[in-house]
Amino acid sequence: MLREPFREFYNIFSRKERLREYRKNGRKIIGTICNNVPEEIIHSLGGVPVRLIGEYENTPLANSKAPSWMCSYARGVLEGGLSGDFDFVDGIVGATTDDTKLHLFSAYRFYVKPSFSYMVQFPYVNDELSFEFFTKELRRFAEKLSSFLSTNFIDERLEKSIDVYNEFRELCEKLEELRRDDAPKITASEWMSLMLASNAMLKEDFNSMVSARLDELKEMDGMKDYRLRIHLSGTDFYHLGLLNLLGECGAVVVSDDLCTSAGYYSGFVEGTDIESLAKRYMGCTACVMTAHPGKLSVEERLNFIWQRIDESGAEAIVILKDRGCEVCGHQCPWIVMESELPVLVLDLDFPLSVEQYRTRIEAFIEAHGGG
Amino acid sequence: MNDIQASEQVWNPLGYKELYRDLFKRHLTRQEHLLSKKRPVGWFFSFHPSELIYVFDVVSAFPEQYSAYCAARGSSVDLIDTSIAKGYSHFLCDYFKTTVGSIVEPEKATKPLMPKPDFIVDSRALCVGHHEMAEVFAKYYGVPRYTVNYPYWTPDSLKNVDELTKEAEWAEELYVEYTTKRLHGLIEFMESVAGEMDEDKFKEVFKKSEKTSRLLVEILNMMMAKPTPGSQREIGDLVFIAFFVLGSDYAYEFCHRAYQLIKDRVKRGEGVSDEKHRLLTFGIMPWHSLSLYEYCEKLGATFPVNLYVNASVHLVDSSKPFESMVRRSMHFTNATYDMLDSVVRAAKKADIDAALLLENTGCRITSMIIRPLADTLREELGVQSLILEAPQCDARAMPLERAKTQIEAFLESLS
Ligand code: SF4
Ligand code: SF4
Repeated sequence: MLREPFREFYNIFSRKERLREYRKNGRKIIGTICNNVPEEIIHSLGGVPVRLIGEYENTPLANSKAPSWMCSYARGVLEGGLSGDFDFVDGIVGATTDDTKLHLFSAYRFYVKPSFSYMVQFPYVNDELSFEFFTKELRRFAEKLSSFLSTNFIDERLEKSIDVYNEFRELCEKLEELRRDDAPKITASEWMSLMLASNAMLKEDFNSMVSARLDELKEMDGMKDYRLRIHLSGTDFYHLGLLNLLGECGAVVVSDDLCTSAGYYSGFVEGTDIESLAKRYMGCTACVMTAHPGKLSVEERLNFIWQRIDESGAEAIVILKDRGCEVCGHQCPWIVMESELPVLVLDLDFPLSVEQYRTRIEAFIEAHGGG
Repeated sequence: MNDIQASEQVWNPLGYKELYRDLFKRHLTRQEHLLSKKRPVGWFFSFHPSELIYVFDVVSAFPEQYSAYCAARGSSVDLIDTSIAKGYSHFLCDYFKTTVGSIVEPEKATKPLMPKPDFIVDSRALCVGHHEMAEVFAKYYGVPRYTVNYPYWTPDSLKNVDELTKEAEWAEELYVEYTTKRLHGLIEFMESVAGEMDEDKFKEVFKKSEKTSRLLVEILNMMMAKPTPGSQREIGDLVFIAFFVLGSDYAYEFCHRAYQLIKDRVKRGEGVSDEKHRLLTFGIMPWHSLSLYEYCEKLGATFPVNLYVNASVHLVDSSKPFESMVRRSMHFTNATYDMLDSVVRAAKKADIDAALLLENTGCRITSMIIRPLADTLREELGVQSLILEAPQCDARAMPLERAKTQIEAFLESLS
């Protein structure tokens, strides 16, 4: 299904060759289990930040150590650790953003025993006090990691890493224009293959790969025969099969708020120091847990979604509701209640048997799609 | 062994039932009095600093306790279904679903309903689930909410915690400081909704809390005596005191009397039943099927350690009230699994020979810890565990008869 160069990107993610290569060259691989982990810190200390994503149909090892109703993301990561597939991972970093991630972190530490682990304590309130705390917390994280990596934390290095990550975000925005086009040039699964690859290699390598292909991507044939432009809502989703099905049924994905996509790259670091970093990560409105005083994070997330819908011209929302995801579990009803656009909720039960969703997707597109 | 045989066995509870009746009566009288005076209503969650409820004279409601009440009275299943029909996931915890159900379709819920909140205090001293619930409840009612972020403790931030008192050898200053500041913020928030704080009352309530907390710790210590002196049917409800009414007069008076009863029992060397197996238990109690504990005890399987109840208590130091409020979060369910060390120490002390672990479907906290806990008990102490799926408010996933059969088979395997 994937055209080139997307297949090449996807292979980088699935084969993990780059990561093994970095490791062979002496770099330590630091796996993150939440998109709110400030990767710039890991990067500036010479580690290779990698979002851990386990791609499994079934997760028997994880199911023997954790409830089988847990979200597919958590089970995938645990399966990767328990099976030894993540043997290239030297350390892991989590964030206190939901219960699943807290306990995924603990279970991974307990059973897989990585050489390094750190839990970033994330404030739930975006106020001055929490900002001060979070800045100190990021310094603490940097200290612990620098001692593990035997490097010193140097401001100039952080500045460089911030540049690399901001360049990545800028590239993502450029790519977004291609998928938002009237005739979108990137399909949903192609888009996801880019996102996945960006998590399985150093950002500077990803940036140069994408930059070198940007013109080629711009020249690709756009899709004109779709029937409905959709915004995808969800959390740690990365199943290409279901994305392909959406395309087959006539939907084109022009926007999303997934933790594995827009929730990850949206928002620049405005500055060069650790304070700027703290500001960016606390202010990520795609993050589902942190809100400004007097506000609710679900409302801030809804605003993020409406803004993305406005910018992309999405005509409907498809919610990918993993049955074990606690965040989808409590926020999904509010998206449905407050949306002015038609919404289709797909309850996802992993292992996913994609075809079972075809009829509902087709009916939804039939009801709301043009053409 | 069947039901009839089990019921023929000795079962000699401590006699806390009367004490609880008195406690609840006094709690409800207080609530009614404050409601009639139009004092503000706050919704709170377990591990919040309950003392402040008494310092500020506010009406308190607890979604977790209310859900347990609905489960015991049989309405929670309908409420859970209501919440799922509204689009909330099946795999959210039962407290979440039951409370949402009671908000959306109050006619289906057990009365008296929780009074509508004027404010919500949300703390993450146990689970993000509390924070998620607080968001949803605050959105339904459009009321202000205050969040206290406690840290999730890790081995590099907390060292050597006592399983009962929660006294630690060392805790990361940065985290203690931040949480303390948020707790000061909570006081300001409470002042904004309930009026200025009376400093003397603050001191007085914390003194009472300290005395009560000492008694709670002692009661749980004494539960580890041989033979096990009390029943989990009575001990399990101590969480109500430790979580929700710590700081009140009636909590102190309850504990004072409860302490005497258990002390006398231990002195006499009497047990709750004819003890054959000493079991550790963990998991939120299935409120719809509490008779299960009595059933086990009648079979000779007693529970000297209930880690869920142990997690609920902590030692209050009234000379350091804020430090004590932070200490409340230093339990093994709010920490990486390294803290299972303290559990092993408690299990050794209680000389347990097996464990009954309850997997509360939808609750990531209890359900994720269960297997590492079972593995640790097996590896460190050679102790076997029975894991039962037991959503705390939904009896459908835990038919009582099936649970009894599983327990009997497990006990037989131990013999
Ligand atoms: S956000 Fe959802 S999918 Fe992601 S880790 Fe949390 S529960 Fe799992
Ligand atoms: S600990 Fe579990 S059951 Fe209790 S409120 Fe949190 S998520 Fe729900």
